[in-house]
Amino acid sequence: MNDRPLKHVTVVLLLCFCALFAQLNRIQVFQAEELKDDTSNTRTVQRDFSRPRGPIVTSDGVVVARSITVDGPFGIERQYPEGDLYAHVAGYLSFTVGADGVERSYNDELTGRTPALELSSLAQVLGDAETTGEVVLTLRDDLQRVAKEQLGNRPGSVVALDPRSGAVLAMWSAPSFDPNPLASQDGATANAAYAALLEQEDNPLRSRAFRDIYFPGSTFKVITASAALSSGVATLGEPVFPIVDGYTPPLTSRPIANFGGRSCGGNLLELLRASCNSGIAQLGAELVGPQEMVRAAQAFGFNVVPPFDVPGAVASKFPTDYGSLLDEPTPELPAGVYEDTPSLAQASIGQNDVSASPLQMALVAAAIANGGRMQTPHVVAEVRNVQGRAVSVTENSTWQTAVDAGVATELRIAMIEVVERGTGSVVQTPGLIVGGKTGTAQLGTDPPKSHAWFIAFAGYEGQVAELAIAVLVEGQEGASEQTGGRVSGPIAKAIIDAYFQES
Amino acid sequence: MRPRTVELGLLLLASIVTAGAYGLTSLGRAASLPADIVPFLGIVLALLLLAHVVVRRFAPGADGLLLPIASFLNGLGYVMIARLDPSLADSQSAWTFIGLLGFTATLVFLPDMRRLAEYRYSLALLGVTLLLLPLLPGIGKEINGAKIWLRVGAFSIQPGEFAKIVLAAFLAGYLVEKRELLASTAYRFGPFSLPNPKYFGPLLMAWSVALIVMVAERDLGSSLLFFTLFVVMLYLATERVAYVFAGLLMFAGGAYASFRMFDHVQKRVDIWLHPFEDPKGAGYQIVEASFALADGGISGTGLGLGTPSKIPVAPTDMIFAAIGEELGLIGATALLIAFLLFIGAGFRVARLAASPFEALLAAGLTALIGFQAFVIIAGVLRVLPLTGVTLPFVSYGGSSLISNYIVLAILIRISDRSSRQDQLRAT
Repeated sequence: MNDRPLKHVTVVLLLCFCALFAQLNRIQVFQAEELKDDTSNTRTVQRDFSRPRGPIVTSDGVVVARSITVDGPFGIERQYPEGDLYAHVAGYLSFTVGADGVERSYNDELTGRTPALELSSLAQVLGDAETTGEVVLTLRDDLQRVAKEQLGNRPGSVVALDPRSGAVLAMWSAPSFDPNPLASQDGATANAAYAALLEQEDNPLRSRAFRDIYFPGSTFKVITASAALSSGVATLGEPVFPIVDGYTPPLTSRPIANFGGRSCGGNLLELLRASCNSGIAQLGAELVGPQEMVRAAQAFGFNVVPPFDVPGAVASKFPTDYGSLLDEPTPELPAGVYEDTPSLAQASIGQNDVSASPLQMALVAAAIANGGRMQTPHVVAEVRNVQGRAVSVTENSTWQTAVDAGVATELRIAMIEVVERGTGSVVQTPGLIVGGKTGTAQLGTDPPKSHAWFIAFAGYEGQVAELAIAVLVEGQEGASEQTGGRVSGPIAKAIIDAYFQES
Repeated sequence: MRPRTVELGLLLLASIVTAGAYGLTSLGRAASLPADIVPFLGIVLALLLLAHVVVRRFAPGADGLLLPIASFLNGLGYVMIARLDPSLADSQSAWTFIGLLGFTATLVFLPDMRRLAEYRYSLALLGVTLLLLPLLPGIGKEINGAKIWLRVGAFSIQPGEFAKIVLAAFLAGYLVEKRELLASTAYRFGPFSLPNPKYFGPLLMAWSVALIVMVAERDLGSSLLFFTLFVVMLYLATERVAYVFAGLLMFAGGAYASFRMFDHVQKRVDIWLHPFEDPKGAGYQIVEASFALADGGISGTGLGLGTPSKIPVAPTDMIFAAIGEELGLIGATALLIAFLLFIGAGFRVARLAASPFEALLAAGLTALIGFQAFVIIAGVLRVLPLTGVTLPFVSYGGSSLISNYIVLAILIRISDRSSRQDQLRAT
């Protein structure tokens, strides 16, 4: 036998083993973090299941999760005294199905394995002192309860946050689930509960607040307005759009109709006040154009996964491709005509392929109220050691600068106008400055169904608003512009009342 | 240094590594050294010294690397199996002992491998019979959907593991006899020269054997290995790339047809392409293996400190993932290198072999071990669809371990004869 073919086979085998070595590096080094964070990875959880673990409490001291001593193989079990109320935020720790929520993202803090917690207990010089951490949420139990009561058994979500810090004050998604069976030491119980939840069609395991996205409908008009104001193609007063019952974009014969066939028009302030489809669609498609619309949407955090301390938040979407330029800009059509200008007209009023999470829309309202700065949303305020001393505090930070302060002021004026004299009058509150925007995202006409939206901010005269809210009620009967205000407005109003009643 | 001295030194090292790993595993799990650590080290040393003495007595001139590498793989595998499932530890040590008996018997009773060439057609018959035995009703047995088992008293054995060796010996004999014909050129198409089509016969036979194994016994891994073995040996004997291409084409055809025809093949491919789509169902095994490896990272969790028992079928198909978890990238890479060293040593035996038959047999068996290690590790790492074959010397399993030790003995026997030929020539 010659050496030559043997060399070839050797080279082939060597290459095969090189491929194995490369893939081994990929799995064990480059993808390792990603694999460890995979939601179906239960290894870390199982290792931590029998360890002592600190509680999770709300900012007003209600215990959301705690460890109790039980008989059984592990001796410890996680208990969630509030049942389904915080299931999507605090999550669960299950031996068989893994962990989710803050239980997952703050696992190291709860089990006391962060350097800060280990050092702080070292300083106590107490032999075998517990190093577990207590995680304090930014959520307020009273607001969370109001959100749950108000939404009732309708599927949807309520998000309330502080525009100044990004701290989430309430975050409710219905339907929710009871995390207690999932935390059972008995694997069969946990698995059966999990399987039953997976089988439900309305998907109670998934938080609608930040893991699902919906047509934002007319609430998106504030972003179209922001694009117009930022790029300088319009002010609140100029130009004035004709009073019509619909708008037909270039390249199509299908008009975008106003709700109920009503006629509307006027300047930007009036368009927003009446939530006028024809004018806003024309503004976005013909004056603002694709580049500025995409830029404005992305400045408000669209197409980016929000940095959020609960795992699994999804990016809101705004389409970025409108084809090539067909007609150069003219004085009549300053944005020019693109292959997909008709889609841009739809997108400008929050239809087409635009979709947003309730968390994202709450952040939109918050950024406008906070001078254009969108703060990083978070649900954890601080981590305390067993002595109750804070060892790490969540720093406020700005995620995106959505618009400059001048444009933010104009948008703020427009949203206040919507509440004082427009479609959002339901949230008017004496003694407070409240701004808002309704949204009714039509899903179909037979039977008429739509997502009812309301976004709002509220605060005292002369101060930055303290509260920003997004309410989504999914798949409601009816499809008139009033739907958003009628269905979702009162929920926002109840949150505002609850927040400001004592302070 | 003389090969036996090298072998003895490396064997001592392998037993220290094995006993050290055994002790560390226990330290990791129970924070104490196992009570039987001293007897354990004694038994490991005794077994390896026994093998060494057998080689020294019956094949004194043989290569000194093969046995230590095999012992290292076997030792590490044993420690991991005992750690994963203590109930398998006793039987794995029994299999190791029987494997070493098989090793000894091969060296004692087969002093000259060329004898095998004389019985090549009987070997072909024996190989095919071994392969088809599990299909006979009554003695055949189906485990996890694969009909590759034979019930013998309280044990289950996989005759296919032994069929591989027998068929490799047949092929070596057949190819050495016919290689002039097989390598002749009948047609030319530009730069390509093709042999006479009738000499594609052996390839067709390989293909049908592979197909039978896959279709009737539903054993994808062995089917792939048989076919690879045949194509590699055909290429080694004839140097004809045409056979390799024809082999690849036939394999692609067979693979595609079986993909279309059989659910279980489709399912395997589907899991391979999208393991994370059903991480709790179909993809569970492979996804857990990846999680285990990720947990291990570069340096591993440490022996006894990981949770490798979460990986389904860890002691057999998935043992590489279990080792990768507890010993990390470093340990898993050491394992890959050990296999490469074994392949290198085996091919050197083939290169130096005293006769063409022995050269081809050594090369074929070495390639078989090499490709088998590749196929199963590639399955665990998602490089290829997962097929259930054992990791040679490492995985749990009697038939596999015994047949691997027989392969080892054949390589050592061939190596010994070539060194004696050299000595004859030198003097």
